[in-house]
Amino acid sequence: MATAEVLTNGNSTLCDWHDRYYHVDQILDRPGPRTDPSFMAGDGVKEFLRNQCKILVIGAGGLGCEILANLALSGFKDIHVIDMDTIDISNLNRQFLFRPKDVGQPKAIVAAEYIMKRVPGVKVSPYYGKIQDKDDAYYMQFNLVICGLDSVEARRWINATLVNLVDPENPESLKPLIDGGTEGFKGQARVILPTVSSCYECSLDMLNKPTAFPICTIANTPRLPEHCIEWASVLEWPRVQGDKKMDTDDPEHINWLYTVASARAKEFKIEGVTWSLTQGVVKNIIPAIASTNAIIAASCCNEAFKIATSSAAYLNNYFMLIGTDGVYSYTFEHEKRDDCPVCGGESLDISVPRTWTVERLIEMLVEKQDIQIKKPSLSTASSQIYFQAPPQLEEATRPNLEKQVFDLVPDGGEITVTASTLPFSLFLRITYS
Amino acid sequence: MAPGESQDIEVVTTAIHAQPDNKTRRYDRQLRLWAATGQHALETSRILVLSSSATSTSIMKNLVLPGIGHFTLLDPTITTARDAGNNFFLAGPDSIGKHRAQEAVPLLGELNDGVEGTADVRSVHDVLESDPAYFKSFSLVISHNLDSPTVEKLSRLLWTDPLSPPLIVVRSAGFLADFYIQFHEHDIIESHTETAPSLRIDKPFPSLLGHALSLELANMDITDHGHIPYVVILVRVLEDWKRSHNGLPPQNYAEKQAFKAALRDLKRKPDEENFDEAEAQAYRAWTTTGVPSDVAQLFTLPAASGNSTPNSTFHTLLHALQKFTELDDPPHVLPLSSTLPDMKADTSSYVHLQTLYKTRADEERAIFFDLLDKNADIDEGVVETFVKNAHAIRVLRGRRWGEFDADKEAIASAVVGYPRESASHFALSALSNLTSGSTAPPTADALLAEVQRIVGPGIELPEKELTDAIGELARAPTSDLPNVAAFLGGLVAQEAIKIITKQYVPINGYCVVDLVDTWTGVVGTPA
Ligand SMILES: [Zn+2]
Repeated sequence: MATAEVLTNGNSTLCDWHDRYYHVDQILDRPGPRTDPSFMAGDGVKEFLRNQCKILVIGAGGLGCEILANLALSGFKDIHVIDMDTIDISNLNRQFLFRPKDVGQPKAIVAAEYIMKRVPGVKVSPYYGKIQDKDDAYYMQFNLVICGLDSVEARRWINATLVNLVDPENPESLKPLIDGGTEGFKGQARVILPTVSSCYECSLDMLNKPTAFPICTIANTPRLPEHCIEWASVLEWPRVQGDKKMDTDDPEHINWLYTVASARAKEFKIEGVTWSLTQGVVKNIIPAIASTNAIIAASCCNEAFKIATSSAAYLNNYFMLIGTDGVYSYTFEHEKRDDCPVCGGESLDISVPRTWTVERLIEMLVEKQDIQIKKPSLSTASSQIYFQAPPQLEEATRPNLEKQVFDLVPDGGEITVTASTLPFSLFLRITYS
Repeated sequence: MAPGESQDIEVVTTAIHAQPDNKTRRYDRQLRLWAATGQHALETSRILVLSSSATSTSIMKNLVLPGIGHFTLLDPTITTARDAGNNFFLAGPDSIGKHRAQEAVPLLGELNDGVEGTADVRSVHDVLESDPAYFKSFSLVISHNLDSPTVEKLSRLLWTDPLSPPLIVVRSAGFLADFYIQFHEHDIIESHTETAPSLRIDKPFPSLLGHALSLELANMDITDHGHIPYVVILVRVLEDWKRSHNGLPPQNYAEKQAFKAALRDLKRKPDEENFDEAEAQAYRAWTTTGVPSDVAQLFTLPAASGNSTPNSTFHTLLHALQKFTELDDPPHVLPLSSTLPDMKADTSSYVHLQTLYKTRADEERAIFFDLLDKNADIDEGVVETFVKNAHAIRVLRGRRWGEFDADKEAIASAVVGYPRESASHFALSALSNLTSGSTAPPTADALLAEVQRIVGPGIELPEKELTDAIGELARAPTSDLPNVAAFLGGLVAQEAIKIITKQYVPINGYCVVDLVDTWTGVVGTPA
């Protein structure tokens, strides 16, 4: 793995030339009418931005490439970037730091090298790996974090990690998190001040519900090409291929699914199964274009620049853009949720019928849009209700699935919910209806 | 195995080899938006950019990546130390002293070897004088921070001839920006709006009505009964209802409730979800299918300014559409769409219904085809796309750049309706008017006086919004901030893609951007 030392290209101040920051300095040399009086125009703020501020970029993909370039040109000189992916040919229509020769290489490393080549004096330290590999001490070193990810799970993890990092005694422990996301001509950017303003978890219910097709439709009454593709991937793959893991990046696997789905579609006289649709459904592909990524990344970096310099007020706290019909945008304050499992502090009130079994409760939790949990394990302060793992514990607690919740938890009692995908515990206060 | 079956398998295996090629894979994420037709339009486009500033190269980056055909940067500027610091598409200090356009073209070009780029180091003023036809050889012209008199001259040149390319005028300073797209008329067939075409439940075509009436609801197999598509249920129940109500659908609240009750009464088991769907969709039974007003008003559009129109294909199609809606059969409606939404049904009843819609849609498209002007040689694929999207076609009529700033009535109403957008727009107009090459940047007072001169006496601009806008411009009058350049680069490229592909709907008016408070707005939309 490349280290920061290998990629560093010299002392940063040596590379500055007269008038290098002519454009940015017009903003940093004097306040505007809406600038907070605490803004210290001039050398102090430039010194902080260019020689002290340390910023972390999570993701070196569609948003990440743009974010790195914008930060470098804005005057951030100590930039770190994490990405666990390698470059694919389908990235090249927007991830502008990569070329065809880079396909297969780690995004973080190629992106860092390119930025340092193009913008002298900027140090970009790449890490090719997962955000979960890093501990609190690592995240503590940054002044700001910008997130350009397409994974909900990774965003929940970094959000919860930064909220947990906050120590009220230590103001430095509060790391502003700027998060961006895009889909086609639409996107959003937001500023999260962990524990102070609405966090990523607070707004989970704003996410689009993923299209899920009922198994009975897939198995018995397919109508759409998507139903045939789901049949091939959800039912036929495990039946025919056994334990072999499906890799949606492997064209041979997509071919197999496409062939099987096409045959089924033919049998049922359903039109429209194509290679591209097959790939789109099984990989859950979201359309992505350079221009939308540019808008959202620029918005994220603009907020980072304003926060780092206090040269203008920063976004409070959500910017949403829809470019399909004219240019429509909406800037608003997303409210913090008191019962947010990450930043709210209060437990979530859940009312269930007395007759419900533990299994039914788990089913409900899995379906709940504002929780989005895959395989929850449940316990109370005094006992284990149901654990998904390890196998011995799963087996030992399995009989509880059929028991009524009411027999295990008193009215008003608390259940702790954990899951391997969640970097935090969720507290439920159960009442019976 | 029957011969037919073995052939099927053969067809399927042949299809396997139709794996996408490298180009399709490269463009996969955008082809899912604008498809091969949009991509073809991009690949045959030629774009001219006046300047190679940070904002200009940011715009171009987002157009080179998706694969336009050609771009030219027209710019005589020699790279300064300032340019080298804020423009990602220059080679840092190495570019200082060299032609900015010539330095930027290769760095933009390396983003996509399918795109051709040229640097032209003549000045736009000279070209306007010596070779005005030059501008008309492009499909789109984009300018950034070009001085007002030159924009004025260029916009008039391109406006006089409706066959000239659209012009996007971008202005920015510090955290503020606006841009405008000048076009005579912009027609959109694939608008990608979310409005769905009518299923014609209230005016069922003969085969659909026949199918709905043929069902023996009471004697049907119970499983089949739970799988009748809601469309068929609604057509049937509406027909029965009309027979006992003088041929009329439900007229008022009480009747609508009674209609829903009739749907519920047909349920033979409480868990028949198809009947629940029918009840949820019952409004379709009393929603009259006609020509949507947005489409109807296109039939009475006055002729576009100028005698020739570049969009004659669209207008030929529109004229045929009007004739189609005047027919008694099909009954004063748009051509039927063959796209059926998903609904609770078993495979065979859904596929059967789909076939009914598809067959009928084909028949109506043939009727439409007969109504088309036989002299117009229009590609069949275009006709098909037009008919399929007939419910969502759009026509935008534009204005010349700058007309808004001279239209006192429009200004007066904009100031009331869009105070912050108006304030920023006129502040940018003032800055643009007062900026010329060598003079010192204008002061806040000078900007204020110029804004007042533009809007004229008797129009009050909102004080706080105006002070905020002018103050920001006076703070950074010549600053092309990297983040603002990148933001505009994305926004303007999105609009350019919409203009070129004629898919999705571009803005009509001045799009105003304020990155202090992070908002965008539109002002000056033609009435
Ligand atoms: Zn929260």
